[in-house]
Amino acid sequence: MLRTLFTLGLIGLLAAALLSGVHLATRDRIASEQQRQALATLNQLVPESAYDNELIEDRFSTRIPGLPTLATLYRARLDDAPVALLADIITPDGYSGDIRLLVGVHPDGEVIGVRILEHRETPGLGDQIELERSNWIRQFKGASLVDPPAESWASDKRGGAFDTLSSATITSSAVIDAVRRVLAWYSANRDNAFAIEAESGDPSTP
Amino acid sequence: MSESRREIWKQGLWNNNPGLVQLLGLCPLLAVTGTAVNGLGLGLATLFVLTISNLAVSALRGIIRPEIRIPVFVLVIATLVTVVDLVMQAWFSSLSRTLGIFIPLIVTNCTILGRAEAFASRRPMADALSDGLAQGTGFAAVLVVLGAGREIVGRGTLMADAHLLLGDWARSLEMSVLPQETGLLLAVLPPGAFIGLGLMVAARNRIIRSRNARTRAAASTRHQTA
Repeated sequence: MLRTLFTLGLIGLLAAALLSGVHLATRDRIASEQQRQALATLNQLVPESAYDNELIEDRFSTRIPGLPTLATLYRARLDDAPVALLADIITPDGYSGDIRLLVGVHPDGEVIGVRILEHRETPGLGDQIELERSNWIRQFKGASLVDPPAESWASDKRGGAFDTLSSATITSSAVIDAVRRVLAWYSANRDNAFAIEAESGDPSTP
Repeated sequence: MSESRREIWKQGLWNNNPGLVQLLGLCPLLAVTGTAVNGLGLGLATLFVLTISNLAVSALRGIIRPEIRIPVFVLVIATLVTVVDLVMQAWFSSLSRTLGIFIPLIVTNCTILGRAEAFASRRPMADALSDGLAQGTGFAAVLVVLGAGREIVGRGTLMADAHLLLGDWARSLEMSVLPQETGLLLAVLPPGAFIGLGLMVAARNRIIRSRNARTRAAASTRHQTA
């Protein structure tokens, strides 16, 4: 009995030792890999040459009205002047649940661009929101709450100003609505969006 | 190759294939096979875990008393899977995001515990090694074939995103087999996985049946001429 316990304990110890070794060997690489990916995502909307601050570090979390999940906002600056606000948000209103997207907003309130980060929409229909699959997502570039006016921020199937993906009205509307909510948050917080202190700690993993 | 070694490979690849005959590990098998590359990625990870776990279990078989064998097997398998998960996150991070939850889930793949219990814990290490390689290859082959079939029918491509697994040179491996518009959406969705696997099992049964019929026919001809 004692010997059995000893064997089990020894094997457990060996497993723990092996795991801590591998953890130590991969830890830094995993962290830098995640950082690199986060930055690559952000750089899709704001090229590296357009800002000079630590984009990943210059971020804070906030609640955007209408979106249940806490949003992470990144700020790009050049010589301390605001260049862009990048909002990493999740909308629960997709056809198959959460859609995670990145919305870039120019300091004057115009959309720089929108990218889909994660989704489970129907392949062939709703997944056309991805830039790799169609140009639909590009229509947000240059849009603001003035152009088109806030009440026209809906899919054209529902009387709005934005194109609708065929057979994916729910998906389209979820994205349109989420972008509008980011712009609405920004217009309400325009004065302090670039003044809020950055949060420290490990970067969240977009 | 010795007789028993050949038999082990025959079992793993065809007679007792984990995917087509034992029907073990169906959850990852059905879930990740949307493309050939995803299938290959999970197949290789499973092959690796299965081989090492077979080796470890076989090496430990002398000192493990029967009462503690299941906890030890689970510990060995869980450790190996965690190692694979960490290594993939560090060096194949985009693939690890695609396969996501299914790497940790290899722990629950009954094939691995099944081989540890049914084979590796009773056989010398050399046999356990062959069995791990053979069963793992058999499982990976089913994943790749099913993934390739679903990818061709559903998206019209083959080996899309190969660079996530094999590096940048592999971008050229991607082929368009059918024009995209003809893609049958169903194949990529979960029902396509069940239908595809069902067709593969049926095809295997059919091959076996026609082979048996031929052997019988040959035997009866011999009988008549004798």
